[in-house]
Amino acid sequence: MSLLHARGPARIDANMTPLIDLAFLLIVFFILVARMGGEQLPFVSLPEPHNAATTSAGSQPRLAVNVLASGDHAILSLGAKKFPNDESGHRALADAIAQRIRRDPTLPVDVRADRSLRYDMIEPALRAIAQAASQVGAQRVTIRVCALDERQANHE
Amino acid sequence: MTPMIDVVFLLLVFFVCTVRFERNEQVYRLDLPSRGNTADPLALQDAPLQIILGIRDGNRCSIELRSDGVRQTAANFELLATAMEQLRRRSGTTDGLFESSHPILIVPAAGSQWQDAVDGFNAAVRAGYANIGFAESKR
Repeated sequence: MSLLHARGPARIDANMTPLIDLAFLLIVFFILVARMGGEQLPFVSLPEPHNAATTSAGSQPRLAVNVLASGDHAILSLGAKKFPNDESGHRALADAIAQRIRRDPTLPVDVRADRSLRYDMIEPALRAIAQAASQVGAQRVTIRVCALDERQANHE
Repeated sequence: MTPMIDVVFLLLVFFVCTVRFERNEQVYRLDLPSRGNTADPLALQDAPLQIILGIRDGNRCSIELRSDGVRQTAANFELLATAMEQLRRRSGTTDGLFESSHPILIVPAAGSQWQDAVDGFNAAVRAGYANIGFAESKR
């Protein structure tokens, strides 16, 4: 018997540990990416009313119309998709909202606007939602205004 | 060391996954009026109770309640909520001018802040009204 094979013929074993590690990392990575893609909620400094009489936003799917502050002007977005803040942009936003409501009429439309913005900068978003609702002819479209409950925010 | 680093990375990624990035968001319902054809077209529409908000000057924001026969000012949103609650008719009594379903319209000035518009909305909700909407800004 050869000295090289003193313990019998050499066996090749695959080391499974790094493979399992990698598989877990990939699973977690895809969970993370799917979650972020699904929510598409950019950070907005929402209004914090004193003694808020709000209700919970719940965890059901929602359509977020964001109005973000950028210097002196506002940026409109539906989820992650941005729209120019002009006539054509407002029309495109209304069409996009209408398309989503048509697909799922139970979807609540949430207005997430920065508290430091002027009201006239938020108006195009409100008008686009109203236009979308009338385009679709939906009997009841649930529109919600997002805010932070200062008591809950302070507890975090 | 390798398995330990693997576990540490996995834990790190797990906590990144589970942490909530957004703060606890709450909502106000702002339903559009029903556009069905069941409503009586000859029915008289209630004149809305308007909350007229001015442009903020430092810590002060002018607040005015206006409707048929009502014209009041409030120094802040707490007092606005109290005034509106006093105007609301409670079930079984004849006190108050407006039902809780009476339309309330927030009319902010074009330059007023969204925070103030939401504060006005919040005051109306706290006062027990259910039919609240935003109007075109006052220029």
